[in-house]
Amino acid sequence: MGTLLKDKVAVVTGSGRGIGRGIALLLAKEGAKVVVNDLGGAVDGSGDSAAPADEVVNEIKAGGGEAVANYDSVSEMAGGENIVKTALDNFGQLDIVVAVAGILRDRMLFNMTEEEWDAVIAVHLKGTFTVAKAASILFRQQRSGRIINFSSTSGLYGNSGQANYGAAKDGIAGFTRAIARDLGRYGVTVNAISPGANSRMTQTVPQSARDIRAASGIQANSAVTPLELNREPEDVAPMVAWLASDEAKGVNGHVFHCQGGQISLMSNPTEERTLRKNGRWSVEEIDAMFSGTIGMDMANPAPPQAPKE
Amino acid sequence: MANYLDGKVAIVTGAGRGIGAGVAKQLASEGAKVIVNDIGAALDGEGSSNTPAEQVVEEIKAAGGEATPNYTDISTMEGGEAIVKSALDNYEKLDIVVTVAGILRDRMIFNMTEEEWDDVIRVHLKGTFTVCKYASILYRQQRSGRIITFASESGLIGNTGQGNYAAAKSGIAGFTKVAAKDLGRYGVTANSICPRANTRMTQSVPDSARQLRADRPEDREAAPPTTQMEAEDIAPFVAYLASDQASSINGQTFLVYGGAITKLSLPRRVRTIFKQGRWDVEELRELAPQHLTQGLVNPSPPQTPK
Repeated sequence: MGTLLKDKVAVVTGSGRGIGRGIALLLAKEGAKVVVNDLGGAVDGSGDSAAPADEVVNEIKAGGGEAVANYDSVSEMAGGENIVKTALDNFGQLDIVVAVAGILRDRMLFNMTEEEWDAVIAVHLKGTFTVAKAASILFRQQRSGRIINFSSTSGLYGNSGQANYGAAKDGIAGFTRAIARDLGRYGVTVNAISPGANSRMTQTVPQSARDIRAASGIQANSAVTPLELNREPEDVAPMVAWLASDEAKGVNGHVFHCQGGQISLMSNPTEERTLRKNGRWSVEEIDAMFSGTIGMDMANPAPPQAPKE
Repeated sequence: MANYLDGKVAIVTGAGRGIGAGVAKQLASEGAKVIVNDIGAALDGEGSSNTPAEQVVEEIKAAGGEATPNYTDISTMEGGEAIVKSALDNYEKLDIVVTVAGILRDRMIFNMTEEEWDDVIRVHLKGTFTVCKYASILYRQQRSGRIITFASESGLIGNTGQGNYAAAKSGIAGFTKVAAKDLGRYGVTANSICPRANTRMTQSVPDSARQLRADRPEDREAAPPTTQMEAEDIAPFVAYLASDQASSINGQTFLVYGGAITKLSLPRRVRTIFKQGRWDVEELRELAPQHLTQGLVNPSPPQTPK
């Protein structure tokens, strides 16, 4: 057992399986008492079961740690509040929130249903808000706290067939940057992880979809590397544990990409090239200037294809 | 009248005022027939009025252009479908979608209500999805089309008191990058604009919040004064992106204000630490502060309680 998070209390949403489970186990191993939240649904969000959260709690206890299960849905305000309340009721305090819960409903934009859109936005984006909101009230009062959210390269770079997931995950990055500024002055830090891992969630992306993307010349995620095969969900946990510790108190408002043994600090979108004049441009002027200046070497990530007969 | 968009049909959401109105008028002046969509609500999303959209349509017609008002709420699927249908009913085709519609409900995260969150996410993020989804069905069939969405530095950089707005605007940037990859192969492009301009929306930010943001170096950099930046300055570049000349510009994000047009990068790896296999927590305790996070500036450093 480590001592990095001794006497801390943590909430980890979506920690019944995969990346969330790895984080709950490591936080507990480092001394934190953990609320293991998982609705126990399928990857598409359907159904629920107490089993995944219970199993992780049992695993933590068997390892000599302390944990309690919670089965609330993060996508409702009452769920977010109750998860925070579970920490207070069982362990008397809350120091760390890690928001991992998520689902996938991949579909090309032109075929995506309202239900597929709403469900993904509700679980990822609102589900990150509900817990952060409830925790931030406490964190502000106690003038300390850690929030670690989960973004994705699908949002940061875009991934075909994931308009809903990409919107939610880049939305979480934006939410993280904004509330880092709301809460930093109270001694709270808010950061995001963009994980690369082989989990139940990535396994649901059909090989056919991967093949279509490759065959169509659609760029894969820039951050996906040949290391892809050697990246376990548990590999994401150490950086989360460090960010959750007192030692990371100066790190606020950043996104880190974690996969396998690789951890990168990501930049925000930055200004690459600027076309500037005094006063307003005309369309003719832009047309004359653009391609030879900021438009140079601008690659189309999904170039037009001839129709199939 | 210029002719960059002759024969094109465009939808502009939130086109009754501000940046959207500027875009609608510019597209019309370049020859496009424009559906001027605006629910005519107050900035916080309350109420509705036909007047703003009608006024913009009248201005376009007075200048010799063609336009039709539309008052549909874009935050429902029916609304998104109805706007696309309005283009087809009035002008028999659709080539360009520009989604500007948005509202503000600023609040610090610890005070933000569910309604403030839901309203902002619904109008900005779902309102971008609903119109683009129905347009994309057409675009895929006709193998052409333009989508231009509106993101914000508030989402890409971060801004105090805007957890909801930043989530929505960064979400739109992510959505657009995916739409670009879903649709590019069909000859469609999807790009985002981060605008800086002095509009009704920026004027609503209270002076206290401006002062708070100005007190912080990173925020000052992120949101400079917009007084010299007119809403109409955004429109020429939108018109260019909407034209056939911009057929290969896809999946990009641009910062546009005054006389400046800036290409924004995707997020980049600034620093990386690497080892074969999983990091040990003890290793990270040493290496993370030495390499990964050394010198990082907290955009909102802790303050002593008042």
